Amino acid sequence: MRAEYGKILVRFFKNSLIREMTFRGHFIVNVASEIGWVAMMLIFIKVIFANTPDVRGWTESQYLFLMGTHMLVTSIFEAFFFGNCWRISELVRTGHLDFVLVRPANTQFLLSLERINYPALANVPVGLGLCGYSLLEIGQAVSAGQVSLFALLIVASVAILYALLFTFAIMSVWLIRQTGVDHLWFYAVSLARYPAEIYRHFAGGTLWFVLVFVFPVLMVSNLPANVMVRAFEPTMVAYILVVAVVLVYLSTRVCHIALSWYRSASS
Amino acid sequence: MKKYWVVFRIALSERLVYRADFFISTFLRFIPIITTILLWKAIFDGSGKAQVGGLAYSQMVSYYLLVMVVRAFGSMPRLATGISTDIRDGELRKYLLQPIDYLTYLVTLRIAHKLVYIVMAAGPYSIVFWLCRDYMPGWPSGVNAVLSVVTLVLALCLGFGINALIGLMGFWFLEVASFIHVFMTAQYFLSGHMFPLGLLPDGVQQWVLLLPFAYETYYPTMIMLQRLETGEALRVIAVQFVWVCVLFVAGRVAWNRGLRRYAAFGG
Repeated sequence: MRAEYGKILVRFFKNSLIREMTFRGHFIVNVASEIGWVAMMLIFIKVIFANTPDVRGWTESQYLFLMGTHMLVTSIFEAFFFGNCWRISELVRTGHLDFVLVRPANTQFLLSLERINYPALANVPVGLGLCGYSLLEIGQAVSAGQVSLFALLIVASVAILYALLFTFAIMSVWLIRQTGVDHLWFYAVSLARYPAEIYRHFAGGTLWFVLVFVFPVLMVSNLPANVMVRAFEPTMVAYILVVAVVLVYLSTRVCHIALSWYRSASS
Repeated sequence: MKKYWVVFRIALSERLVYRADFFISTFLRFIPIITTILLWKAIFDGSGKAQVGGLAYSQMVSYYLLVMVVRAFGSMPRLATGISTDIRDGELRKYLLQPIDYLTYLVTLRIAHKLVYIVMAAGPYSIVFWLCRDYMPGWPSGVNAVLSVVTLVLALCLGFGINALIGLMGFWFLEVASFIHVFMTAQYFLSGHMFPLGLLPDGVQQWVLLLPFAYETYYPTMIMLQRLETGEALRVIAVQFVWVCVLFVAGRVAWNRGLRRYAAFGG
């Protein structure tokens, strides 16, 4: 059974690659636009740190590392899951979800991974480069344990984002309309991009609390970066790992319930 | 003129269909601003300075809020993409066959959309501005109010001119969608949407301020923020006007030349 899912996944990867190869120019422009974006962010960071030695305790190098981590997390998510989550409400609205349901494999698996967006992966080396550069600037050795924990937390971050967006997307079964997955993603990304500490100084920390414990997007990016270049907080690490597992499990439950409600569209 | 009046009325009623969605999404637009403001709070606290880049903290907050107003006038979502798609898919024929001028038609459409948007957004914007009243610069003088209205209208024309010109590139390049993406990213930075251009190092700033983008967002916002002397504001408005004329002529030239090579693809 497991081997078959492996085979399906490989087939998805190949199909997506073939689709991508028909628009090769797209890939190059995508890389160019990302490099432009990074250049702009770097200028912004220079502007920020020309005026202050730190942002709520984050030095310039640490902030660079956060930016690199954020790029890693978001580009991995965008490459594997964003397009798939975004497509779900369209599948529901048009009734094409039927063709996914009749296939003899787990529906959530098929819905989540059918299309891989390879150009988004262009950001992975850029993010890693930023992280590496920042570590050189900090000049402190990192242990193999830290690196493995960092990798694990990146996976947990992607899993949290996936669970939140997938659950949101699958609700279109009830709404039968665009659920605005792209908007939710935009807000999640813009909230998670900055040091989490900046939210503690607003509305008595209520916003911080909500973004950590209710709609937990704030520890994404922040926590992996913390582990590498700032402090290791065991409770937060444990919390994020538990949240990732629980949210992914909940997404499978919601998916199950939603699909049992599904009544197809048109004739 | 009468036919454009009809276009205008149809576009008005079409826009009034989705009122509830509109109300919610207008509020959601302020979420990224909260994040940006909290980041600036952290920067001001860290710097210990009363002013950063010539702006006090309250002025920085109102800068980002007023940018929203300026963008409500100047932003032209999907205009460039729409034009280039019409060219690429051969949809343009539809307009060429009618006794209607395509660009005038688009301007009419946009003005109607903008009017609806501005009237409907006035409510949510007033609520947000009232909540943030301690940060706002206070009621403008009569002169400043007039200058603000003029600069906003010119920002709208400038936004249309720039985006239409980019869209018309579709006559020469079949696939401009990815280019438009790069352009939008650059515009976000160069127009002062990301942060006030006064923060840029002098060497970079003098060049960036020469581009038309600065007159799309940065300068109009500074006028509304009451940070420019009347003489300087008048200079800004004059330059805006010159840019609008230049873009108008360039747009016409591009349109006439483009039509000559237009091949009307598609079925």
